[in-house]
Amino acid sequence: MKQTTVGGTKRKIWNALAIALLVIIFIAYMFPFLMVVINSLKQKRDIIKSPFSWLFTIKGLSFDNFVKAFVQMDFLNAFKNSLIVTVCATGLVTLLAAMLAYYIVRNKNAVSKFTFVLMVASMIIPFQAIMIPLVSIYGGTLNVLNHRITLIFMHTGFSMAMSVFMFHGFINGNIPIALEEAAVIDGCSHTQTFFKIVFPLLKPIISTMVILNSLAFWNDFLLPSLVLTDKKLLTLPLSTYSFYGTYSADYGTIMAGLLLCVMPILILYVVLQKQIIGGVVAGAVK
Amino acid sequence: MKRKSPGKGIVWVATMALLTSALTGCTFGFASDPDDPNEVVEEVPIDTSVDTFSYDTTLSGTSITLLNSKAEIQVALEAMSAAYEEKSGVHVEVMPVTDGDSPYTKVVSLYNSGNPPTLSILDTTDVIALAREKAADLSEEPWIAEAEGYLTYVDGKVYSFPLCIEGRGIIYNKKVIEDTLGREFDPSVIKTQADFKALLDELAAAGMERPISMAKEDWSLGAHQLQYIYETYDGTSEGAQEAIEAIKDGTIDLESYDRMSQFVSAFDILKAYNVAGKDPLGADYDEMAIDLADGKTAFWFNGNWAWPNIEEAGAKAEDAYGFLPYFMNNDETDFVNQKIQASPSKQVMLDGQFASKEQQAAAKEFLNWIVYSEIGQQMLVKRCNIIPPFQNNPYEPADPLSRDIYEKVHAGAAFNASAIVPNDHWAVLGAAMQKYLADRSDRAELIETINAYWDEQARLGKGE
Amino acid sequence: MKSSKKGKDFCIFGLPGMFCFFAVVIIPFVYGVYLTLTDWDGVSKTKNFIGLRNFGVVVQDKQFWISLLLTFRYVIVVVILVNVLAFAIAYLLTRGIKGQNFFRAGFFTPNLIGGIVLGYIWQFVFSRAFVSIGESTNWSLFEVSWLSTPGKAFAALVLVSVWQLSGYMILIYVAGFMGLSEDVMEAASIDGASGWRRMINIVMPLMMSSITICLFLTLSRAFMVYDVNLSLTAGGPYSSTEMAAMHVYEKAFTSRQFGAGQAEALILFLVVACISGLQVYFTKKQEVEA
Repeated sequence: MKQTTVGGTKRKIWNALAIALLVIIFIAYMFPFLMVVINSLKQKRDIIKSPFSWLFTIKGLSFDNFVKAFVQMDFLNAFKNSLIVTVCATGLVTLLAAMLAYYIVRNKNAVSKFTFVLMVASMIIPFQAIMIPLVSIYGGTLNVLNHRITLIFMHTGFSMAMSVFMFHGFINGNIPIALEEAAVIDGCSHTQTFFKIVFPLLKPIISTMVILNSLAFWNDFLLPSLVLTDKKLLTLPLSTYSFYGTYSADYGTIMAGLLLCVMPILILYVVLQKQIIGGVVAGAVK
Repeated sequence: MKRKSPGKGIVWVATMALLTSALTGCTFGFASDPDDPNEVVEEVPIDTSVDTFSYDTTLSGTSITLLNSKAEIQVALEAMSAAYEEKSGVHVEVMPVTDGDSPYTKVVSLYNSGNPPTLSILDTTDVIALAREKAADLSEEPWIAEAEGYLTYVDGKVYSFPLCIEGRGIIYNKKVIEDTLGREFDPSVIKTQADFKALLDELAAAGMERPISMAKEDWSLGAHQLQYIYETYDGTSEGAQEAIEAIKDGTIDLESYDRMSQFVSAFDILKAYNVAGKDPLGADYDEMAIDLADGKTAFWFNGNWAWPNIEEAGAKAEDAYGFLPYFMNNDETDFVNQKIQASPSKQVMLDGQFASKEQQAAAKEFLNWIVYSEIGQQMLVKRCNIIPPFQNNPYEPADPLSRDIYEKVHAGAAFNASAIVPNDHWAVLGAAMQKYLADRSDRAELIETINAYWDEQARLGKGE
Repeated sequence: MKSSKKGKDFCIFGLPGMFCFFAVVIIPFVYGVYLTLTDWDGVSKTKNFIGLRNFGVVVQDKQFWISLLLTFRYVIVVVILVNVLAFAIAYLLTRGIKGQNFFRAGFFTPNLIGGIVLGYIWQFVFSRAFVSIGESTNWSLFEVSWLSTPGKAFAALVLVSVWQLSGYMILIYVAGFMGLSEDVMEAASIDGASGWRRMINIVMPLMMSSITICLFLTLSRAFMVYDVNLSLTAGGPYSSTEMAAMHVYEKAFTSRQFGAGQAEALILFLVVACISGLQVYFTKKQEVEA
């Protein structure tokens, strides 16, 4: 990945400027996250009185908050719940959305057009507008709340529109139909064509969607809070409830809890980066 | 790309550090500082040797749920339900209402899901909204006799269990006042608004220019402050209701209503000595507790629920904190200058629609257990740190703010009035109060907004 | 023969996804629309059909229209800033500069902080950091907390939204740039006037599908802004920054006018649907087919 040197000094200056600019914006972006990290090591009093002070100037810097968060959240159990829900829902929505988007792109009939328009429109439905109807249908009528599977199903349904939309855009722009036609001539069925030819080509967008969806599922609060009330089933964000009071909150522990919650996602992101880079090769096919 | 990307490296290092620390519980630095407010507070022991409560053994094995909207007592409630389960065999699952949810929204969604809590801790307004259709009638329960004066009636029946008494006023830090003035401070000599103002001036002259903290939050301004105009009508809940009806139908004209102008005069004093000064809407709630404990300020307008914050900020249970009344005028004989407001705030409602006979019976027993069993009584006061509205409970709260209210209630120095206002009162009129606090509106505009609000409510009431 | 194959394709590819979507989103939504025509208060056992009376209440709810207007202003500013910024950063992050993976992870972090912590951290920044800068420099811009005057609180809301949303959009734009071939990327390297022209004539059209998506996402998310609104300003100071989605929620649950709140949600939905529909229609036209 070496930068080519064509263009000479002018190019170099441009690059240097760009990097400088990037670094400045980057620091601004990272700042709040940095504050979370720093303050997660402080006690509440210090958080409130001197939120910006650096670590070494603060007395009583400790990992106590992390220990407290870990214990009070019942971290391992909540982690397990979050993991099951996130992995299943992400897997399900990625697969189903890719297939549905592929179907819509390649079959321009009334049903697919209607579904697509409906999906795009549905992305702007405020969640608050379907919250009560949702629980009265699934709780009052069907009585299936308080099961992980219900939550997985709902996560899948709610992120379906957005995922289809993203896959649709990518397939439209980046997957040449010629490849599939060749495969069909070679005797592949549609299903085979999709899984052997198309799906691998979707890698960059799959990585993106896996990240975005798993982040959304992992961090979601409102939907799980409606679906799950059984303590044994609580996901990570739900398990931080005890840090919030009516008038004030236990900020140090909340921040420690937040870091414990997001760390897995950050790792996932870093791991998936490679896949996104792999997309360059996929893009080069055409 | 053989080399690990730097991003990955950093994340790994951070994760490993976090995990190791979390798993081993290691600490470094000055974590064992004796003043460490994060250190686990020793729990007051509960004496479980005596228990004269008679349990209904047929209920053993029943499981009920309790929705808790008072987040700060979640852990205590869990301990309480465990103690009850040990004795009775009834399992009480305590469900928290979490951040961002209002208790009412949570209950509504749970009712819609067909799985409502057996018991719910709610605000009085919520109980009134839900009682007729959802709640079980509790009028025949034994504890009714112990809670006289603290019961909420809907159509002549009691549908809710008063969980706690909460009071509000101007919290003072005695030591700070004495240190600043260099003399003894006796709160009982402050009898009128003029006395209070003189004290503030004296503090200002002694170097504490702005001795008051005042929350900018709409619930504080719109509910805890503004509602004095209804609650001081005659110092009773019925009177407050009367005042509200009179404002609605126009028999009370806020422009000339004496409590309105008195309230504004009291509020103006707080505003003038507000430590946040020229930026009152930039004030931070948590910082106020620290300022009061540290002695940057001497007063904080708030209620006894503020104690955990003040304690976190470094105050001790034996420190001298207490309440001054919300001085509204210069008449020494007016009750508003003698008494502070204290009334039941949270109510427990029993579901009468979905809960089974056994569950209802178990829930009723649990409520009676809180009132009558020695263990329940102690749990309520010592663990939940609640001022019980039940006369038979012999235990006294341990923190100075609750103790002050407790003593004032028993000495007749508190008035029990709570205005039942529509649920958006605090939000809508809290905003109007913020505007007034920030000097973006004047008294006339404030009154106009309050009038407009009640006009709208009157219209809605008729429309339905 | 052919149609049965089509049917099979539909069952395998289309149906499962559509089923989830309809069951979770569309059916509750339709039920919700029905509720706007009743006097149901959210809990009561009875629902009476009252026609369009709830919409009558909405028409009279001045605050709703004020908040909708404010939301329009907010959306315009946010959509422009987010997309310009995210596009530029994504471009820089796909040039193969040193440590770009590290940077990408960094720009992603805003997405990791949500809920009350997000609001709390930023409150620090606006109420403390800025004020202490103000104290030491005497700049009137930083004299008082940004959250205590309506104009600056609005600016603060925009700033935080841009910070958070652009992290998301960077990700999508990065994926878009990654999908471009090497020679197109080469053409895109901006070094002077001709570079700009190549950027606009060659790269932009190829990036159009990403742009469509990002515009749409920012548009809808900005219209729906709720979390940031609640945790940063809570609509304050004195309700001056209450956006439409927050007002809807307050109407339904705080003011307890469930039907009217639901009706407002529907109106909000229709407004956003029209606007983003137009946006997608126009940007789609610009896309080049593969």
